[in-house]
Amino acid sequence: MNSALDWKTGSYYQNRRLQQRIKKAVLFIVLSAVGLTFVIPFWWMISTSLKSMDEIMQYPPSFLPGHWRFHNYVETWTSIDFTRFTLNTLMVACISVTAHVISNSFVAYGFAKIRFPGRNILFSIVLSTMIIPGFVTLIPQYIMFAKIHWVGTYLPLTVPGFFGNAFQIFLLRQFYLGIPNELIEAAKIDGANHFYIWRKIMIPLSLPAIIMVAISTFTASWNDFVGPVIYLTNESHYTLQIALQSFKVSSGLNQWHYLMAGSVIALTPIVVMFFLFQKYFIQGMNISAGTKG
Amino acid sequence: MFQRKKFSVILVVMVLIGSTLLAACSSDKKGEPSASVSSPSNSATPGESASPSPSADKPKEKVTLDFWAHWGSTTRRPIIEKIVSDFNASQDRIFVKYSFQPFGEGWTKELAAIAAGNPPDVIIQDIFTVGQRAEKKQAVNLSEFLSKDPSVKDRFFEQLWDTVLYNNEPYALPFNTDTRFLYYNKKAFAEVGLDPNSPPTTWAELETFAKKLDKKNGKRYDRIGYHANNAGGWDLWVQNSDGKLLIDREGPHYNSDAKVEALKWVKGWDDRLGKKEMDAFKATFGSKQNDPFVIGKLAMTVQTGTFFAQIKDFMNPDDIGFAPVPEMKPGSGNWTFGGGFTLEIPYGAKHPEESWEFMKYMTDIAAQKYWGQYLFDNIANKEAANDPDLSANPVYKFATENMKWTLISPVPNNAPDYKNIANPFIEKALLGQEDPKSALDKAQAGVENLMKTTK
Repeated sequence: MNSALDWKTGSYYQNRRLQQRIKKAVLFIVLSAVGLTFVIPFWWMISTSLKSMDEIMQYPPSFLPGHWRFHNYVETWTSIDFTRFTLNTLMVACISVTAHVISNSFVAYGFAKIRFPGRNILFSIVLSTMIIPGFVTLIPQYIMFAKIHWVGTYLPLTVPGFFGNAFQIFLLRQFYLGIPNELIEAAKIDGANHFYIWRKIMIPLSLPAIIMVAISTFTASWNDFVGPVIYLTNESHYTLQIALQSFKVSSGLNQWHYLMAGSVIALTPIVVMFFLFQKYFIQGMNISAGTKG
Repeated sequence: MFQRKKFSVILVVMVLIGSTLLAACSSDKKGEPSASVSSPSNSATPGESASPSPSADKPKEKVTLDFWAHWGSTTRRPIIEKIVSDFNASQDRIFVKYSFQPFGEGWTKELAAIAAGNPPDVIIQDIFTVGQRAEKKQAVNLSEFLSKDPSVKDRFFEQLWDTVLYNNEPYALPFNTDTRFLYYNKKAFAEVGLDPNSPPTTWAELETFAKKLDKKNGKRYDRIGYHANNAGGWDLWVQNSDGKLLIDREGPHYNSDAKVEALKWVKGWDDRLGKKEMDAFKATFGSKQNDPFVIGKLAMTVQTGTFFAQIKDFMNPDDIGFAPVPEMKPGSGNWTFGGGFTLEIPYGAKHPEESWEFMKYMTDIAAQKYWGQYLFDNIANKEAANDPDLSANPVYKFATENMKWTLISPVPNNAPDYKNIANPFIEKALLGQEDPKSALDKAQAGVENLMKTTK
């Protein structure tokens, strides 16, 4: 009764608070539902990784493993040389991050803050490389690397990173354009050269964009499949993404429990990295969203 | 403090660059054996009992062959490694290094490697497309080697040998194949009053039996007796009808009267059981995480011999019967089709003579028998396939006998994409949007036109 009375005699503020609460509740429910749809496939992967093949074959499938087989992870880790493949992937990813961060921020600084003849034309040429699909250049690039005896090494996977990436150059250039030129001019008056300005002023000021570049490079390198498949010939050099393929079979039943356990292991660093750098990741997304207009 | 931090950063970068260079220096020119793989227990397949012996050490004077294949699972890898290891142990001048390549991508990699002039020495390739690689100079002509060992060609099933010929010259050696036949659930047969020892022999019987085996609960099927397209495929049945492949060396054979009848018959299953219900049924098992036959949702299915590995692990094999694919009408033949893989020397490989030695070993009785014994895979070597040890397994024996009904032919070089042309018409017919005869006529004309324009 009392609550009914409140409804009728409630103040404007009380009604407004109620409306806000309802709005929040609806938003929470919608977001939870959306979040759940993203989490379910991930949970399915974890759940399958903990089941036996017998349980995986059961119908209807069980949402939770009947018997939690953590040993699947041990078997996955030992059935192939997982430690080695993880270290290989980590090494390629770290070098790629270093390469991309250094080269792209350096080139972007040039396009954003140094005036020189033909700068815009050169920048357009750099941007135009984005429209060439990677598969078109795959064979010519392979032949080039084969001729200089780089096939079978990590060099084709890491060295091109030192020569810039059009999208990342574009992204960083847009960020640098937002940094006042007065800062650079002041530094020049104090006797700083461009390398010093880039290193001491631009990089610290553009940390969110740099971290965005680092994260996207790490993810792309960690998940890269075609590059390592094409260029690595010795199995001991393989990366995780190739190694996971060994649990798939051309005919018959895939080894789902190992494949999913391996996928969970391979995905973990990316998830951990996302949570660690969440703040920068969101900032970076805002940067890339802002550059589209 | 700042200097120390700076120094640390430089040190990390130096270490990373250094490790790249080290990795670069350790490229695979030494030909060391590949990363070792142990064999964890895997309930899905029988290969776990195979334990490869350690690879033989490689003396420096030996020729190292790089062998690429897509067998990397814990069931297949130990078998292929054991065969390679046995070969290495038998040799004093050749050492084979096995490299796993992901299925399909390894072939793309081979193309790039051939273009760059550094291909592997031996590769496992698709059996249907040998001629295409021969024509494009991607595979080595083996005539010269075969002239020294002419008996090698007599090892293989006739239709398999035919697949490796281009202009009557061999460009590969067949390694393994497959054949499709009917599996049926004896318990389900007994449950509905059918004789568990009398599988259907004709299409009419298959349909009658399937109707009896259907189990419906309201609008949903608890069990389906059989479904032609979902548990065999329309292509199996249209080829079974007249014993002619949809395409072979002579060209397309899409629109014979028997094939038109067959496509109508395949569509009839959807008409009877309900297209919507069958699409939902197919979608349930679309991920291939589990098989409807294995979990008892389907009473009959058409599968290859390797499917028995799943039956052995997840069902009671005594409850399962197998039979040839039913024939359209008595006397028309239990035709089925197969596929498989071949051993090839990619064009530009450095050691063709040694590669030939290894290929001979891989297709000889011992290696072939070992492969078939553990993987239930049909092998290409006739003598090995009929070996008493392998024939002791009734499914294996049956699969070998079924080779006489198995159609395999290379795809003509001027029609590599024939499926992309023909299949949309067939799909339309199965959806009821086109008359089967008209669809098959259009498919025939489309593929003929493709072959003319690509000549």
